[in-house]
Amino acid sequence: MRRWNDSGLSASSAVVVWAAVALAIPACGRKPGDMPPKVLPESTTGQTTASPPAGTTPDRSPEPFDPPPLATLNADSTWIDRPVRDGLTLLREQQSQETPAVPVAEAMALRNTSSAINKQILSTLGRLPDSGTADLSARIDRHVAGDLGSTNPIMISTTAEFDILGLTGFGLFSFGRDLEPFASAETVVSWQTSADGLLDKVVLRDDLVWSDGEPITAHDIAFTYQVIMDRRVPVPAVRSGTDQMRWVHAYDDRTVIFFHKEPLATNVWNINFPVLPKHVYENTWEDDPTLKESPEHVKLEESPVSGGPYEIVERKRGQQIVLRRRANWSEVGGRKVREEPFFKEVRFRIIEDPNTSLLALKAGEIDELALTPEQWTTQTTGDDFYASNTKVTASEWVSFHFGWNIDSLFFADRRVRRAMSYAFDHDGMLERLCYDLYKPAAGNFPDDSWMAPKKKPQPYKQDLDKAEALLDEAGWIDHDNDGVRDKEIDGRFVPFEFSMLVNQQPLRIAICTLMKESLEQVGVRMNVRPTEATVIQDLTQNKKFQAYFGGWGAGTDPDSSENIWATGAGRNFVSYSNPEVDRLFAEGRRELDRGKRAEKYGRIQEILYDDQPYTWLFWRNSFYGFSKDLRGYVFSPRGPYNYSPGFGSLWMPKQE
Amino acid sequence: MATYLLRRLLLGLLTLLAITFIVYGLARNMPGTPLTVQMGESDPSRKLNPEDQERMKRIYGLDRPWHEGYLRWLGNVVRGDLGRSFSRKQPVTTLIGERIGPTFLLSGTALLLTWLLGVPLGLYASARSGLADERATSLLLYVLYSFPTFVAALFLQIIFAVWLRGTSWELPLFGMSDLPADAGFAARAVDIARHAILPVTCQTYVSLAYDSRFIKANMEEAVRQDYIRTARAKGAGPGRVLFHHAFRNTLIPLVTLLGLSLPGLIGGSVIIEQIFTWPGMGRLFFESIRERDYPTIMGLTLMFSVLTLVGQLLADLLYCLVDPRVSVE
Repeated sequence: MRRWNDSGLSASSAVVVWAAVALAIPACGRKPGDMPPKVLPESTTGQTTASPPAGTTPDRSPEPFDPPPLATLNADSTWIDRPVRDGLTLLREQQSQETPAVPVAEAMALRNTSSAINKQILSTLGRLPDSGTADLSARIDRHVAGDLGSTNPIMISTTAEFDILGLTGFGLFSFGRDLEPFASAETVVSWQTSADGLLDKVVLRDDLVWSDGEPITAHDIAFTYQVIMDRRVPVPAVRSGTDQMRWVHAYDDRTVIFFHKEPLATNVWNINFPVLPKHVYENTWEDDPTLKESPEHVKLEESPVSGGPYEIVERKRGQQIVLRRRANWSEVGGRKVREEPFFKEVRFRIIEDPNTSLLALKAGEIDELALTPEQWTTQTTGDDFYASNTKVTASEWVSFHFGWNIDSLFFADRRVRRAMSYAFDHDGMLERLCYDLYKPAAGNFPDDSWMAPKKKPQPYKQDLDKAEALLDEAGWIDHDNDGVRDKEIDGRFVPFEFSMLVNQQPLRIAICTLMKESLEQVGVRMNVRPTEATVIQDLTQNKKFQAYFGGWGAGTDPDSSENIWATGAGRNFVSYSNPEVDRLFAEGRRELDRGKRAEKYGRIQEILYDDQPYTWLFWRNSFYGFSKDLRGYVFSPRGPYNYSPGFGSLWMPKQE
Repeated sequence: MATYLLRRLLLGLLTLLAITFIVYGLARNMPGTPLTVQMGESDPSRKLNPEDQERMKRIYGLDRPWHEGYLRWLGNVVRGDLGRSFSRKQPVTTLIGERIGPTFLLSGTALLLTWLLGVPLGLYASARSGLADERATSLLLYVLYSFPTFVAALFLQIIFAVWLRGTSWELPLFGMSDLPADAGFAARAVDIARHAILPVTCQTYVSLAYDSRFIKANMEEAVRQDYIRTARAKGAGPGRVLFHHAFRNTLIPLVTLLGLSLPGLIGGSVIIEQIFTWPGMGRLFFESIRERDYPTIMGLTLMFSVLTLVGQLLADLLYCLVDPRVSVE
């Protein structure tokens, strides 16, 4: 029984980062599948009823569709060429215009104590290898904080699963460091969209094979669409996006056409989904639509057939997953058809405990690690760290906020929400709690993104007078002189006292506690309620809260924010509702011109700033420790991996 | 004896029913479901739409009220099916099977070490009670007892895996084995043993302090009894008095302790497994609660409850062995 006592203590070791996980996203490496944007919460497209309501539904969905012959489509459509690129080549071209800030040896000796030094390290150690200098037999040990639930490409939902899929999965599309989508030159010959925006035509390369040697064809893609859309298959995440399409049809081994319901700017993300090998699943999936119970599927789960540059060669549950470069990715039929990735082996080592992870980096057991802000500031400054590692940081499109439940007694009034933002000691948070590592946030879209307005809203600063004036104006006055403001509601004086839900992490609790102290100065009482992540998720989803601390990662497309702000939408925990915002999101999705689209999202940002449904706090950086053996790390707004080339640009130099 | 056993078994079954019913009810009524967890962890742009949520609920059987769910679970258990983990997509029995070995390796070794060291230490302490060397040992044991395992683990890791790296004293930082699955048996055994040293140390030292103090306390009480004075009076040597007369009379509480440690053997330790990334049962239990993975929670609960009941029954039966005055009739 004593042995059980310790389980009570371990709350601190729970690694769930609610919200922050939100950002941690998919696919990386060379073959990424970016995620398509969200699910439409309400029937804003007028067509979301294409699938009948649950309960009465036939097992088969989507509704059968008879694709017209290719000749007819070609005759009726004007095709517009879309970009087909190689992420690595793009990066190489871009780097050829730049010179490294300092010599390599000097960069290795630097200690990252300022943003200027950070730039120097990135500029020098982030470069791709000159030809012949990379050690192509190298192995990299990557850190991963949790085990895989599944290795089946369409069953994935967690960060770890997306990380692995980025290296083992087959995909047609990707997006670069600027988050602009393109078809991947490694798998695609051409990509065209019809002028009416209702069709996307992709021609695959003819030199693609699965790891078992069977050719990868357009039929695999059409087949996967059918499996994903089948109601009996418990697909957790990848269905959103594909459900926005009407049909996917393979006209021959190499030509596939995606049929859309509507011409949307977001269609480009919907056509990007993981692909299953048809020859492996076509005879098994109907007998076991769970894709995990039959003996065949259990075996596939252990050793899946891979369509990406790597294949899984070993899986020790709870410990590690080893991927090896597969020869028939770069060499097909005896000739070299594409560049082989830099690492021969990628070993994902599962370490949940953050202290152990950092020790593992220091001891050279792993080669890279995402650091916590505390680790960055206090535990990676000495010789023990710099002996064989260095560290870099970059801004990321991940922001944190206090969310105010507009349906609650206190926060329906915009003046009150503004008062909250004015009351908070923003500078105290940025300087003392966040060690000056973060930039303040003022809205949903990052200032350096194309969707932010031209005139940037200014982040709030603490102004207690303004906060008090706004609260007075909203009718919250301390009538009984007990130090807490109150207001007469239905003949009863209600004191201004509310609870803030926050994940059990020290920094987050500290930020909320600072808010509590700030609010005390304006006569508002706030209780900090550290709560388990799942409980927060449950309470916020069901709107049983007054305020919460949370964060979001901005998607690759601004439309992915619609389900935070549209009336009644899935992530709209604060019950925000503004018809103009709803309209602008709907229009933004239909607007194909980038400039005009940007105006709509810019306007949304301004409206949100006025309404302050959130008190925006800061944009979080990504912090990474890298072994000095590693080179080629380049950061996008989604960190060093989740874009193209992403992980694919990392390499190790040959040992002299 | 047979009626006693039968009565105990029936009572045990009822207890099991009650435990599993209550735990199932509590688990299902915790805020959040496996879907909430998935929603929280998945990419924001990949959220399930309401219709898909309903579909997943049906697939998981969460659309039915919890008591119905319990009955279905019970029915499957009776047929020998513990169900399938929601989050890990494997049968619960497979999951438990995978974890039971590593857990037992740690806790079995730790338990054995604890008793091998704890009993002599406890006897030594009661023999030398009040003397300077015993005071010093006790102080040390108290210090150890109050030293949190997670801090000790970190220190051990820094010393043996970081500072001593590259020397022959180096020990692995985390994990259970570094060798590929096809390495030879002997090499693998050595590798796993090396990985086990630090976690076993952490798991042992706290119990060691506790158990030796436990034995000493019981001995202190025993040596004040009349029969000890009698034994001394009739001229028995100090060793014989200690082992033969006193220690044997403290076996009853010891057997209780041993019986109660049976579930712990399989239960594992969340903290130690977490820090050393040891693929054990404690971590599985902890994660399954976090993930609201009801089938796994229930499978583990059932196993732990059975072990606790069996441990108690064994202890009760052992009483007859160690104390002739106790009879099951």
